[in-house]
Amino acid sequence: MSDQGAEAKKQLGLSIPMRQEIAAGIFLMLIGLFFVWQSSDLPMGTLRAVGPGMLPRAVAVMLVVGGLILSIMGFLDKNGPMVPLFALRGPFFIIAGILCFAVLIRSVGLIAAGPVAMIVASFASPETRIVETTIFGVIMTAVCIFLFKYMLNLPIPVIANYW
Amino acid sequence: METLVANLYHGFGVALTLQNLGLCFLGCMIGTLIGVLPGVGPIATIAMLLPITFGLPPTGALIMLAGIYYGAQYGGSTTAILVNIPGEATAVVTCLDGHQMAKQGRAGTALGVAALGSFFAGTVATIFIAAMGEPLTKLAQLFGPAEYFSLMVMGLVFSTVLAQGSVYKAILMVLLGLLLSTIGTDLETGQERITLGIQNLSDGLDFTPLAMGIFGFAEILRNLDTPEARDVVRTAIGKLLPSWDEIKQATPAVLRGTFIGGLLGILPGNGAVLGPFASYTIEKKIAKDPSRFGKGAIEGVAGPESANNAGAQTAFIPLLTLGIPPNAVMALMVGAMTIHGIIPGPQVMTKNPDLFWGMIASMWIGNAMLVIINLPLIGMWVKLLKVPYRMMFPAILIFCCIGIYSVNNAMEDVLSCAFFTFVGYLLIKFGYEPAPMLLGFVLGKLMEEKFRQAMILSRGSFWTFVERPVSAVLLAIAVLLLIIAAMPSIRAKREEVFVE
Amino acid sequence: MLRMTSAVVGMTLALGLPANAQNYPTRPISMIVPFAAGGPTDVIARIVADPMSRLLGQQIVIENVAGAGGTTGITRAAGAKPDGYTIMMGHMGTHGVAPALYPNLKYNPATDFTPIGNAAGTPIIIVAKKNHPAKDLKEFVAWVAKEGDKANQAYAGTASVSHTTGILLVSMIPGAKSTLVPYTGTGPALNDLIAGQVDFMTDQIVNVVEQIKGGAIKAYGIATPKRSPALPDLPTTIEAGLPSYQVSAWNAVFGPKGMPADVTAKLQDVLNKALDDPNARKRLDELGAVVPEGADRGGAALQKLVESEVARWSPVIKDAMAKEKK
Repeated sequence: MSDQGAEAKKQLGLSIPMRQEIAAGIFLMLIGLFFVWQSSDLPMGTLRAVGPGMLPRAVAVMLVVGGLILSIMGFLDKNGPMVPLFALRGPFFIIAGILCFAVLIRSVGLIAAGPVAMIVASFASPETRIVETTIFGVIMTAVCIFLFKYMLNLPIPVIANYW
Repeated sequence: METLVANLYHGFGVALTLQNLGLCFLGCMIGTLIGVLPGVGPIATIAMLLPITFGLPPTGALIMLAGIYYGAQYGGSTTAILVNIPGEATAVVTCLDGHQMAKQGRAGTALGVAALGSFFAGTVATIFIAAMGEPLTKLAQLFGPAEYFSLMVMGLVFSTVLAQGSVYKAILMVLLGLLLSTIGTDLETGQERITLGIQNLSDGLDFTPLAMGIFGFAEILRNLDTPEARDVVRTAIGKLLPSWDEIKQATPAVLRGTFIGGLLGILPGNGAVLGPFASYTIEKKIAKDPSRFGKGAIEGVAGPESANNAGAQTAFIPLLTLGIPPNAVMALMVGAMTIHGIIPGPQVMTKNPDLFWGMIASMWIGNAMLVIINLPLIGMWVKLLKVPYRMMFPAILIFCCIGIYSVNNAMEDVLSCAFFTFVGYLLIKFGYEPAPMLLGFVLGKLMEEKFRQAMILSRGSFWTFVERPVSAVLLAIAVLLLIIAAMPSIRAKREEVFVE
Repeated sequence: MLRMTSAVVGMTLALGLPANAQNYPTRPISMIVPFAAGGPTDVIARIVADPMSRLLGQQIVIENVAGAGGTTGITRAAGAKPDGYTIMMGHMGTHGVAPALYPNLKYNPATDFTPIGNAAGTPIIIVAKKNHPAKDLKEFVAWVAKEGDKANQAYAGTASVSHTTGILLVSMIPGAKSTLVPYTGTGPALNDLIAGQVDFMTDQIVNVVEQIKGGAIKAYGIATPKRSPALPDLPTTIEAGLPSYQVSAWNAVFGPKGMPADVTAKLQDVLNKALDDPNARKRLDELGAVVPEGADRGGAALQKLVESEVARWSPVIKDAMAKEKK
C-alpha cells in the first residue's frame, strides 16, 4: 500500500460484509473459546478451595454463550446495521508508531524513540506534512526530556545505557 | 466538638507555616503536572521524589507528597476531559461525559465544574476525616471478604448503566473485563494463568496500557476515521466557566457524589475506585432524561469528579487511623512516613499530633490551592485544543508512550498497549463500549480475591454471602438495580412487538 | 544546567571507556529494587542509597521493577552489563526462597551475581487477632496444633515474606495444618487480621510494630536471637519456647556476575560506610531493622548467607508444596 494510494482513495479500508451484531457476537465467542482453551489445564478446585481455573473458565463459557446469543439476535434482526469500514491507514501507522517507541526506548533511548515514533505515527493522517512533523517531533522530544527527566526525575533512558 | 476545633486550629497552625505552605503548593503543582501527563501516575513520581524529601522535616515532606497525590487526581480529569484518556480507573467515568462536553465546545465548563466540585468534595471530606475518622474506621472493619465481594457485585451491576447503547452488550463487556483480569499468576497457588508463556503477563495486565490503548489511542483512531467529529473541538471554544444555571444543575450531583465517594473511600482495598462509577449510576438513574448522559451531561462530570476527590481524601482514614494503606499510592505514603521514622499505626494521632492534624489541615489548603492553580489554567488548556489535530495526535502518542513506560520501566507495557489499541479499534467497529469493560477489569481482580477468601473462610459455603447482614443488603441492592436496569429494555422489546 | 553539563561530560568519558575504579562512577548508578515502592525492601534500599550516593559522588537512582515475587526485577538486573552502573537490592525471597518456589527461575542466586554486602534485615514477628485466646507463644503453638485446619492464617500472596515465613512457622509445629488465606498484600491481610476475620499471620516488624503498640493486634514472639529495641517487651522465640523459629527478611546489595574487582571493592567499601552513617543508622533503627556487624558484612559473608538460605528454604517449600498437592 503506497502513501499516494491511500491519499487518493481516502476511505481505503477493509469491509466485512456482515451485520454488526453477528460479527460482534462471533468476535466475543472467539475470545471466549480462546480463554476456555488456554485455561483448560488449570484445576477448577472445589468450592472450599476454589482453584485457579474456576473463574476464568466460568466467565469464558459465559462469554461464549453470550456472544452466541448476540449473533443469533443479530441474525434475526434483518434491519441491523452492517459492520462499518475498517480503515487501514490510521491503525497501521498509529500502532507502528507505538511499536517503534517500544523497540527504541531501551535500545537507543528516548532521543531516537521520541521523534521516530511521532514521525511514523503522523502518517496516520493524510494531512501530515513531513517537514513540520519532523521539526515538531524533535522539539517535543526535547520538551519530554526536560519534563520527564529533569522535572520529574523519572528513570527514562534518554541515550540507552549512558544517560 | 470543642476538641475538634482545637485540633483543627492546631493543624492549621502547623500547615500555615511558610515552609509547609510552600511545600503544599509545590506538591499541588507537581501533582497537577503529572496528573495532566497521561500515564505518569503519582506512584512513579512520589517514588522518584522520595529521596528529595530526605532533607525535609517529616510533616512537610508528607504534606508535599499528599499534595502530589490529590493534585494528580485533579490533573487527571483534565486529560480525561480534553483528550479522552483516563490516567487511572476513576477517570474513566469523567471521559464519558466530560470529553463529549469538550467536543461540544464546553471544555471550559467541564473543567470548571470538575474543579469546583472537587474543591467542595475536598472540603467536606477534610471535615469528615477530622471529625469522624475514628468511628468510620470501625465501619470499614465490618467489611470482611464476603461483604467486599457483594460490594463488587453491586459495582458490576452499576457498570451496565455506564453504557449508552445496549445493556446486553455492556454486560458482555463486563464479562470480557473480568476475563482479562484473570490473566496472570494465581493468587493462591502461584500457577500461571493464560499467560501464553509470556513472562511479563505473569503479574497480569496493567491498567494503564489497557486503558490507554482501548480508550485513548482507540479514540485517536476514531477521530482519524471521521475528520468532521474532531473539528468541532477546534472550532468552537465556548465560555471558560460554568454559568449560574449550570452550577445549579450540577450542585445536587456534587452533594451526592461527595457523600458516596467519601463513604466508599474509607473501605480497605481501594473501595474508592467504585465511587465515581456509583455516582454516575445514580445521576443517570434519577435524571429526568437519562438519554442526555454520554452526550455531555454536566451532572455526569460533576458527580463522579466530586466522588473521586472525596474518595481520594477519605482514603487517608485507614492510613492515619490504623496504619493500613488502602491503595498503592497510600502504600507509598507509608513508605515515605517510614523513611522519616514515623511508622503509621493507630497511635499516629496521639504520638504525632503535628503530623496528623497538620496533614489534615493541609489537605483543605491544598484543595483551595488546586482551585487557584487550575481555574486560570483552564483558559490555557482550552487553547491547546486549537492545535491542529495532525500535530496533536502524535504529541498525545508520545506522552502516552513515555507515561506507560514509566509505570514499570518496561517496554513490554508499551507493546501491550499497541495490542490493545488494535483491540480497542475492533471494539469500536463492533459497537462495543469500553467503559464497562474497564470497570469489569478493575473490579475483577478484587472480586476473585475476595470471593476465594470468603469461600476459604466459610469452608466452601455460599450461605456466607447471605448470612452476613451487610453482605445480604448489598446483594439485594444489586439484584434490585439489575431488575430496574432490565425493565426499560423489556418494555422496549414489548413496544417493538406491538409496532410490528 | 550544571547537571546537564556534568552529564554530558560524564557521557563523553563513559563512551567507549571500560569501567575502572579510578573514575568510577562517572554517571548515575541504577539500583533495581524488585518490589513496589513503599515496601520494606524499597524503604531500606532508599535509606542505604542516600549516603552511598553522597560517598560515591553520583546519584544512585532507585528503579522499582516489581513482579513474580521479586524475580522479574532480579532477572533483569542479573542480565545487565556488569560495569557497576546497574546493581540491585536482593532479598530473602529473591536470593533464598525463589529457587525452591520457581522451578523455571532464570538465575542461580549463588553463582549468577557479584555479592556486595548484606544491608539490613527486618525480623519476623508472629501476630494474631487481638482477642485471640492464647496468652503466650506456648499456648499459641498448642492452639495451632490443636485447631488443625480450623486455624485461619493470612498471608500477602505467593512468595511474599508472610507466605514463606508463615509456611516455615507451621512446618515447625508438629501436627499443625492451618488453612492459608491469601491476600494481595500486607495491607489487606493486616486489615482482616485487625478486624478478626483471620486468626494469625507472620510478618516483618516494620509492617506490624505500630499496630502491636496500639493494641490492634497481639504479638507472640520475635524470631531473632535478641529482643528488638522497637518492642522491648516482646519476647524472642527463643525465650518464649519456639527456639527453632529464627528468621528475618534480609536485604542485600548484589551486582551482576563478573563485575571488575575494583568496582566491587569500591561498592563494598561505600556500602560499609553507609551502614555506619549515623543518619541512615537512625532511620534503620526506627524501622526495627537489624544491621549486620563485623564479619557479617561484605561480599564473602553474603555469599555464605545466600548458600545457606537456599539450602534452608528448599526442603521447607518443597514439603509445603507437596502437601498442597494432596
